[in-house]
Amino acid sequence: MSYYDIDAILTDAEKIPCTFQIDVPDLGYLDNQPGHTLKSGSRVALPIWLAEMLAIANTGAVDMDDPSQSSKSFITFDLPPALGNDVVQALKADPRSVPLRDQSAHFYALATHMMELSEEPELSAVLRKTFVSRAAEIALHARKVGGGGSSYHGREGGGGAGGKSKGKATKEDNASNLGVGGAGEDFLRGLDEWERKLFRSAHDGTKASKEWMENVKKR
Amino acid sequence: MALPLPPGLTQNEVAFLAEMEMVTVVPRQRLDTIDLLSGRTPQLRPPHRAQLPLWLALLLKKQRRANIVPPAWMHPASLAEIIHRETKEDPEAFSAPPPPPSRALYSQPGTARRLNHHASYLDDFSQTQDSQQQQQQQQDILSPPFLPSNVAESPAGYLPYHWLEVAEALLTHAGDDMPAPAGEVRSLLRDLVEVRAAKMRSSTSALEGFGDAWLTLRGVGAMELAENRAFLAGLVDGVRKIGASAEATRREEEEEARRGGEYGGDGDEDSDEDMGL
Repeated sequence: MSYYDIDAILTDAEKIPCTFQIDVPDLGYLDNQPGHTLKSGSRVALPIWLAEMLAIANTGAVDMDDPSQSSKSFITFDLPPALGNDVVQALKADPRSVPLRDQSAHFYALATHMMELSEEPELSAVLRKTFVSRAAEIALHARKVGGGGSSYHGREGGGGAGGKSKGKATKEDNASNLGVGGAGEDFLRGLDEWERKLFRSAHDGTKASKEWMENVKKR
Repeated sequence: MALPLPPGLTQNEVAFLAEMEMVTVVPRQRLDTIDLLSGRTPQLRPPHRAQLPLWLALLLKKQRRANIVPPAWMHPASLAEIIHRETKEDPEAFSAPPPPPSRALYSQPGTARRLNHHASYLDDFSQTQDSQQQQQQQQDILSPPFLPSNVAESPAGYLPYHWLEVAEALLTHAGDDMPAPAGEVRSLLRDLVEVRAAKMRSSTSALEGFGDAWLTLRGVGAMELAENRAFLAGLVDGVRKIGASAEATRREEEEEARRGGEYGGDGDEDSDEDMGL
């Protein structure tokens, strides 16, 4: 993960539900109460980069009356709804039918980040199975989709503009391609960023092979 | 990420390397030896067969100075057998690469050894002090571009490393030298490509389980590797990232168990497992 990795930065900006453990003066605007004190126990969605800092650092305050309370962290955090129980159950049932992009554009990156922060052995096993079984499907679509090289390059051009515009371009390209039914299109729309990269690399490989195959005759 | 090219060879580079493969030709005209970087080409005397690099053979073929003898594995019967093996007999694995060439042992009549088998090389070295034979042995470099796997004598029923590239080149430029109509061979090749591509996709399911999961790529050709390299690398890398935190925990636990075992501590089962390792 590079410092300039745009996907890493965007993943860090994903919000996760946090609960404040202490009162913080003048931070009420986070909870729609500007000017007030943020009460302990209030739930606020914070970006990962901030939640991580606050969860790991402790307040350093020494409480003479109750030593067990003396060094508690600022916040505790839960798994984001994208990794919630219903999503995990759906993935267990059929990984291919869940549009991961609707949960989060950086689903796997978010999940691995959360697993680094808190141990989720079951989640890791489910995600692995999901990733691998969806990858086989992705490879199939990458081979079937699109004979036209030019439309593919058109999509590459918009690549840097971020998740949303890219998603649109992919959708349009796939709509114009033959051989993929409506179900396939739905599946491709539900790919998260890691899977998109996988799709692109698989597609590039197939396309290069096809080009080579056609060029053999010309030489 | 400054390099525009992905790691590994592109299809065109692979096809270029495949032109170093040796093929058998039947010359129509005499041609003296040519000094090439890879060595001298044999003297060409019509009707005697000779082995030439693919690029030179194609050049001579285009000038109508030679005919190419297609390798035995490109015969329709051989291709059909390979397809049958890949689809019916063993739908999981790719068909095995050709066996390494062997040669009869002079010291032990009636036996043969692999040419690139290290032990046999040492055996012969110590047993027979024949310097000429040593020299011969040392000249045999046996990795894919230098293996004689596309000459007329190469065994049928095995796909060599550069199968797709060589087959395409021969079909395109020397279609009239094929043992069967070029269209028939070509359609069999197409079938084979599709079968193996599907197999490549389904082989990824081996990664689903935790622990002892691996991808085996034995028998996969150079062109298929070039096509699938980015996808497979991305897949394995993703699996690694997803399992990274679980892996770290597991290692910590193992470390913990080992330490516990050293101090004669609590975890009896764990220390038993360590003994197994």
